[in-house]
Amino acid sequence: MISFALHTLRRSIFAISIAAIFVVFVGPIAILGVTSIRPASGVFYIWRGTNFTLNNFVEVLHQSQVVQAMWNSFVLSTLATILSLSITIGSGYMLSRFGGWIQRSWFATIYIFRTVPYISWVLPLYLVNTRLGIYDTYVGLLLPHIAVHVCFFSWLMKGFFDGINPSMEYAALIDGCTRWGAFCRVALPAAMPGIAALAILCWLSTWNEFLFALILSGKRTPLITSTMAQFVTETGTEWNLMSATAVLAMMPALLVTIFGQKYVIRGLRM
Amino acid sequence: MAEVILQDVVKKYGTFKVVHEVNLNIAAGEFVVLVGPSGCGKSTTLRMIAGLENISAGTIRIGDKVVNDLPPKDRDIAMVFQNYALYQHMTVFDNLAFGLRNRKVPETEIRSEVTRATQMLGLEPLLARKPFQLSGGQQQRVALGRCIVRRPQVFLFDEPLSNLDAKLRAQMRIEIKALRERVPTTSVYVTHDQVEAMTLGDRVVVMKDGWIQQIGTPLQIYNRPANRFVASFIGAPAMNFIGVELVEELGVMSAHAKDFKVELSLDQAAVLRKHGAKTVTLGIRPEHVRLGTPTNNTGSSFTGVVNVTEQLGSELVIALNVGGSTIMASRISPETEVSPHARVQMWVDGKELQLFDDKTEIAIR
Repeated sequence: MISFALHTLRRSIFAISIAAIFVVFVGPIAILGVTSIRPASGVFYIWRGTNFTLNNFVEVLHQSQVVQAMWNSFVLSTLATILSLSITIGSGYMLSRFGGWIQRSWFATIYIFRTVPYISWVLPLYLVNTRLGIYDTYVGLLLPHIAVHVCFFSWLMKGFFDGINPSMEYAALIDGCTRWGAFCRVALPAAMPGIAALAILCWLSTWNEFLFALILSGKRTPLITSTMAQFVTETGTEWNLMSATAVLAMMPALLVTIFGQKYVIRGLRM
Repeated sequence: MAEVILQDVVKKYGTFKVVHEVNLNIAAGEFVVLVGPSGCGKSTTLRMIAGLENISAGTIRIGDKVVNDLPPKDRDIAMVFQNYALYQHMTVFDNLAFGLRNRKVPETEIRSEVTRATQMLGLEPLLARKPFQLSGGQQQRVALGRCIVRRPQVFLFDEPLSNLDAKLRAQMRIEIKALRERVPTTSVYVTHDQVEAMTLGDRVVVMKDGWIQQIGTPLQIYNRPANRFVASFIGAPAMNFIGVELVEELGVMSAHAKDFKVELSLDQAAVLRKHGAKTVTLGIRPEHVRLGTPTNNTGSSFTGVVNVTEQLGSELVIALNVGGSTIMASRISPETEVSPHARVQMWVDGKELQLFDDKTEIAIR
C-alpha cells in the first residue's frame, strides 16, 4: 500500500515537473504567437476577447525595413556559416592532427578569445569598423561573426576529428592519396555529420545574434533582431507588430531546426 | 614481390631513441613477424617501412628502390591496420576499389580485381554494405581484400587480429595463412601475440626496447633463444628460470639450487667450463618438467610442493614450489590427480635445459 502511494507520488511529481518545464518553455512562445494575431488594442488582454487578425503580419511585411532586415539576416547567416566553417574545419583538423608551436599558439589564441567576455569586443569593434569604413556593411558584420564562430566552433570541430581514427587517413595515404587528398576524401566525409551539425548551429547563432546587430548595423544593413527592437519607440511599444516580426523571424530558424535536428543530434553524438 | 632491406634504421623522437639501428633483410615472398611487448618499437618499425613515420637515420629499401624519402603512396605497399581503418562513408566495393581508382586503373579492371578478392575472401554478399554494417571479422576481411586488389610489392600488417575475440582470431589466423599460399607476397606482420608470431612467420624478429633481440625461424627462436628475454617471451606458460650453482664432481657437472639438483650433459659441461661462471640461470620449458621418475639416463629428479593446478581439459598445468622458487609444469595428463600442498616427484632431462649468463642474460652455448 505504502509502495503504491510512493509510486503515485513519484509519478505526480514527475508529471508536475514536466508540466512546469513545458510551461516555462512553451509559455513565452504561446504568448508571442497569440500577441501576433491580436489587434493593437488587445495586446494587454491577450487571453480575453475574440478579436483576431492577420493585419499585423500584413503591416509588418509592408514595411520595407523588416523585409530588408530578414533578407540581410538570411544572407549574413548563410555567408557567415559558409565562411566560418571553411576556416573552422581547417582549424579543427589542424588542432586535432598536428603538433608544434603553430598549433599551440593558435590553440592559445582561441582559448584567450573564448575567455574574453563577448560584450567587451563590441565597442572596440564599432570603432574599428567605423575607422575602416565598414560600419553597417556586410563585411563589417561578417568578420566579427566569423571570428566568434571560429573561436567557439574550432574546439567542437577538433572534437569531431579526434573521434575519427587517423588510421583511416593513413590507409588513404597508402592507397595513393596525398595528405590533402586523405583529408578531403576520407577525413572530411567522415566528419560530415559533425560539420552539418555545426553548420546548423552556426546559422542559427548568426540569425539570432543581437549584440553585433545592434551596435554594428544601422539603416543601410538592418538585421532582423535589431529591427525587431525598433518597435520600442518613445511613444510606446508596438507589441503586436513586434510579435508578428518575431514570429516571422522564428520561422526560418524553426524550419532549420526541425529539418536539421537529425544532423545536429547525430553530429553532436560523434 | 620485392625484398625489403632495413639498414641501421633508427627512429628518434627528439633525443629519445625508440628504434635502435635495426638491420633486417626480408627476402622476396618471405613472411616476417615482428613480435615484442608494447613499446618495443615493432609498430614504429613497420610504420617506417610504410612511410607513415620518417626515419631518423639509416636506409630502407623496397626492391631496388631506396624509399627513405618516398611518400607512402609511392612505395607500392598495402597495409592492414589493427582497427581495420575502413573508409566509413564508402561501401565495401568502394573501399576495395579506392586504391585502384586513385591509380587511375580502368573501371573494368577494377571490377575484375575486386571480384577476385571478394571471391577469395567470401565477401560477395557484402559488397553494397557500409563498414558499420559488418562484424569485426568481416571488416578485417575487407581490410585484407583492400590489400589483395592492389597487388602490391609488400603487405604490412599492424596487429590485424588484436581487436577480434579469441575464437575469431584463431579463425582469421588460419585464413591469413591460407591467403599467403594463394597470394604469395613479401609480408611484414607486427603482433604482440607469440602464437601469431610462431604460427604465421617464416621468420620471427623478437624486439625489446627498440632493439632486435633475435631473428630466426619459429623453431630456432623457441628451441635456441638468444637470451633470457626471448626465452621468457616466447612460449606459454613461460619458461622457468632458476638461479643455480655449478658443481663438478668426478667429471660430472651438475646444477644446484635449494631442493633442486640436475645433472648436465657432457656438451653443456664443456661449454660451461669454457664460459667460466660458477653460477648461471637455468631455463626449463614447462613441458620439459615431467611428473614421476626419469625414463632415461640423462634425467634428474626432484620433489616439489603443489601450489596450484590448472585443468585445461587437454592438459594439466601445475605450479610447484621447489625450494622457494616457483616452477611451472605443463602437458601433464589431465587425468592425473594432484591435490594442492601435495609433495610430488618431478624430473627434467639435462639435455633440454637452457643456460643463461646471470649478468648479461645471454644464452651460454
